[in-house]
Amino acid sequence: MNSYALLAPGAVLALWTLIMLLWVAATRFPAVAKAGMDVSTVPPGGRGQDLEAVLPASVNWKSHNYTHLLEQPTLFYAIIIFLTLAGGVTQVTVGLAWGYTILRVIHSVYQATINKVAVRFMIFLASTVLLLALSVMAVIATLG
Amino acid sequence: MTGHDILGPVAALASWSMIMWIWMYATRLPAMQRTKIDAKNWIGGTGADLESALPAEVQWKAHNYNHLMEQPTVFYAVALALAIGGMGDGLNAQLAWAYVALRVVHSLVQATVNRVMLRFGVFVLASLALMALCLHAFMAFVIY
Repeated sequence: MNSYALLAPGAVLALWTLIMLLWVAATRFPAVAKAGMDVSTVPPGGRGQDLEAVLPASVNWKSHNYTHLLEQPTLFYAIIIFLTLAGGVTQVTVGLAWGYTILRVIHSVYQATINKVAVRFMIFLASTVLLLALSVMAVIATLG
Repeated sequence: MTGHDILGPVAALASWSMIMWIWMYATRLPAMQRTKIDAKNWIGGTGADLESALPAEVQWKAHNYNHLMEQPTVFYAVALALAIGGMGDGLNAQLAWAYVALRVVHSLVQATVNRVMLRFGVFVLASLALMALCLHAFMAFVIY
């Protein structure tokens, strides 16, 4: 097994996060224009979350997901780096890491489009179970 | 060490985040004393509760500290992955320094004048630098 194999799903998820950022921008700007806001006269200090009450929910869903990608996946990046540095690159950990990344991409597409909470939660739960398994393996690899 | 130059900007942005932490409390604690908040007997509050209680310019420092805990986590992951792969020198190190420099400018803008379009422009430039790093990591670890 390639000693960098665990970094590949990490690189994909990092790139995916910025693709979600592009999706945020591509939907937010037309929506801001449609809402009749003039961005050049926005008072100082405004933030993305100020748009929560102003823009349609389905527009804000993209940004909810971008923010979500900057939460739990930060643990994922730390764990795959620990495993890579501690000799924990195995078929099992690489498989789990790809599973996590694929589920997070599905979670993103779902949250950005259909966004039924019960279904989104199940995808999140499944990805978290994989992350839990990876984090246990990281503890074993680093202590061992 | 070869390929590890990128750890310089990693350390710089982590340190800058701690400076923003200091700036946040250096302005927040005196501002809290000027309000009716009874910090000694305050139970269960979070920083977000201060949004309506403190002046906007005080909260701007906290907004930026929080912002530094978002997208830069992807930067740290990608930079560490590139360093582990021995690809953290040359162009990648320069892109990382550009990202860090732009994030410091972004912090200074958000914490002081906080003109939204100016701040957004800096954020876009920083995101482009990060996007280039993500693409390099993708090419190195996924396609290779």
